[in-house]
Amino acid sequence: MKMHKLRRLMSVPLTQIILFAALMTALQLLSMAGLIPNSFTYAIGSTLIYAIVAIGFCLLLGYSGLASLGTAGFIGVGAYAAYYVMESFGMPYIAALAVTLAISVAIGVAVGFISLRVEGLYLAILTLGLSEILRNLLMAVQATIKIDISNARLFGVQLNDSGAYMLVLVTFSLLVWLTSNLIDSPTGRAMLAMKNSTSAAQAMGVSLMKHRLLAFVISTVFAAIGGLLYMMYVRVMTTSVSTLLTMTTSLNILGAVIIGGAKSLWGTTLGAFIVYGIQSMFLSKIPFFQKNPAFITMLTGLLIVVVVMFFPGGLTQFLSGIKAKLQRSFRKVREDIYGKDLG
Amino acid sequence: MARIWDKLRPSGSGKLLRLSQEYDRLRRELEDLEAEAEARPAEPQRNKTGADRLQRYDARAYMAKRAANHAAAKAIFRAVREGGSFDEALRTQEKKLARIEDKRRAFAARLERGGAERKPAPAKQKPSAERVKRTAAEKAALEKKLAALETRIARAKGSGHSRISLPDDVALRVRGLKMYFGGLKAVDDLSFDVKKGEIFGLIGPNGAGKTTVFNCITRFYNATGGDMHFSGRGGEAVDLRDFRVHDVILHGIVRTFQNVEVIREVTVLENLLIAGHRGYGSSLVAQALHLPVLKKEERLMRERALRVLEFMGLTEYKDWYAFGLPYGVLKRIEIARTLMCDPRLIILDEPAAGLNDTETAELAQLIRRINKEYDCTILLVEHDMGLVMDICDTVCAISFGKLLAIGTTEQVQADRNVQTAYLGASEEA
Repeated sequence: MKMHKLRRLMSVPLTQIILFAALMTALQLLSMAGLIPNSFTYAIGSTLIYAIVAIGFCLLLGYSGLASLGTAGFIGVGAYAAYYVMESFGMPYIAALAVTLAISVAIGVAVGFISLRVEGLYLAILTLGLSEILRNLLMAVQATIKIDISNARLFGVQLNDSGAYMLVLVTFSLLVWLTSNLIDSPTGRAMLAMKNSTSAAQAMGVSLMKHRLLAFVISTVFAAIGGLLYMMYVRVMTTSVSTLLTMTTSLNILGAVIIGGAKSLWGTTLGAFIVYGIQSMFLSKIPFFQKNPAFITMLTGLLIVVVVMFFPGGLTQFLSGIKAKLQRSFRKVREDIYGKDLG
Repeated sequence: MARIWDKLRPSGSGKLLRLSQEYDRLRRELEDLEAEAEARPAEPQRNKTGADRLQRYDARAYMAKRAANHAAAKAIFRAVREGGSFDEALRTQEKKLARIEDKRRAFAARLERGGAERKPAPAKQKPSAERVKRTAAEKAALEKKLAALETRIARAKGSGHSRISLPDDVALRVRGLKMYFGGLKAVDDLSFDVKKGEIFGLIGPNGAGKTTVFNCITRFYNATGGDMHFSGRGGEAVDLRDFRVHDVILHGIVRTFQNVEVIREVTVLENLLIAGHRGYGSSLVAQALHLPVLKKEERLMRERALRVLEFMGLTEYKDWYAFGLPYGVLKRIEIARTLMCDPRLIILDEPAAGLNDTETAELAQLIRRINKEYDCTILLVEHDMGLVMDICDTVCAISFGKLLAIGTTEQVQADRNVQTAYLGASEEA
């Protein structure tokens, strides 16, 4: 019966989040002790930032059924807000967070209103255009942004590398917890209803406007928080600014959500690790890929094709399929040993 | 900005509706509490009884027998093709069947022996004294709140200056309803009254505009002209044109769809919880943090959903995903959903479409039971004349958006216009 209790405890999102955070903290401790290379945990940190963005997007795509290709622009908003508030005005991290939240909520509401009129592919194209406008606007204002380490302060404490890593991890855990709670609540169910059938949702009293706005606001806020953390973590956006804010980022986030499974938060996290993590943790160490970085993108593309063709539910579907198969074979072994009646 | 804000908040006349809604919600909570106190669910039964196990064993034995027969048939085919004898195949099959039979007998005997040692199932758990006390305290608090609300509602009613009035026995009054799609007059100057507590049937040939009428009442379409007045929650007459499509449910108007619109990505139980969406009072913050307020509401709503499922005979499907369930079950889920939010007027769009005769008869029973036990008015569109004539108190026949006849089933059946619309003009006419 202990097994039974343990299994139930493990199915609670909070337990999973705590375990995940503990594992990531352990990795950081190991790297501080010099047992694993620093670049490894650094890659994990930046992957977690992408995972935050992907989780916001997962709520939008997987639960509300709204397609958006504007993620990169929303990330840029967070990054630039962080730069101006912290670097130009010398204000602390909390102020930057507040400004980022305010701007991204406003943008989310605006896009949410648009989504009431335009749906499906047209919405995706529209958000793509919006993102390009944002990118060009931001690049025109300032093409190179950089945060000085002495300005990266949280509650008066200066953040070094491991401090920034922990900040990312804590933010990630908190946001995953909030999102998983929201999914398992009337609002999350209303979003799913909206995705499946707008008329049924409305007949049951779900306001399309309220929930579409909410979905876009959450997704934009998560993306902007991702941008803010990126500035805190990477600190420089000289060469990366032009690449980070392009459509490739939006598509990579979309890829992460689809590869992982659009209706699972851990699946989405896994997707982010596959799209971004493997590349920066392992592949970039292999000389062949160092010489031909385009092959990494090709690998990601290939993976998307395979997943969409064979596992439309993402890797979550693949893994749960394996789990079911294992359970079946275990039962068979048990029946072979003890006989069918007891098995 | 003011317009945006206006769009975001619930529409319609405010105070009385809000108070009545709160009143109904609290009353429901009280009911839920009482139901919960009465029927504490028994501990889940770990030990299966001997009969259960034997039944399960028999199911497996049946499959084994089928497999043996199948193998024998294959062997016989092979024997015939290759010119051998098939006696051997038959003998092997007989042996296999006998072995399965022996095993079953042995299993039954073992159960018999073990059965006496098996502990009896635990009796229904009695609520603890502390629990009883807590429930009583909660109940007292709720009753106090309810009494306070009653006086407030009475005051709000007195002060309200409703610009429309309805006779006491009318639930829904439609006057001069028009719905034009460009040049097409889908509904043209249609008027009828639906009395409280009756089952009202709307009939007409295909394309007569029946579903359009429904869509106008539930605000999916914005009617071109005409009035739709509803005796709202709290007893005040309201103009449905003041409401947006997702807000008519606040007054208890719920509908089903012609082409079943069940949310297929979630379980049957969750479908019902979605239908109870407007019954939740927790804020977004409470939902994101899973505060106790939300947990309590979820518990009560879940129990309410289970009761509705039991009423509809759907309990066995509660954890199934709606995707891939049979059509009849999906239809019942749709009706179950309408029962989740204190319905006062249930609008059924062709509930019997695609059902066979037995299922239609069951549906008729069910609609009558809902009408009686949930004390609500039912308005339905149906092509199955047997069903309509069987259950409806009043029938309204329309054709090309115009009223043909309204009255009791006999009156409408005898009406010459209706006969012409359905059968075509006869030669004498």
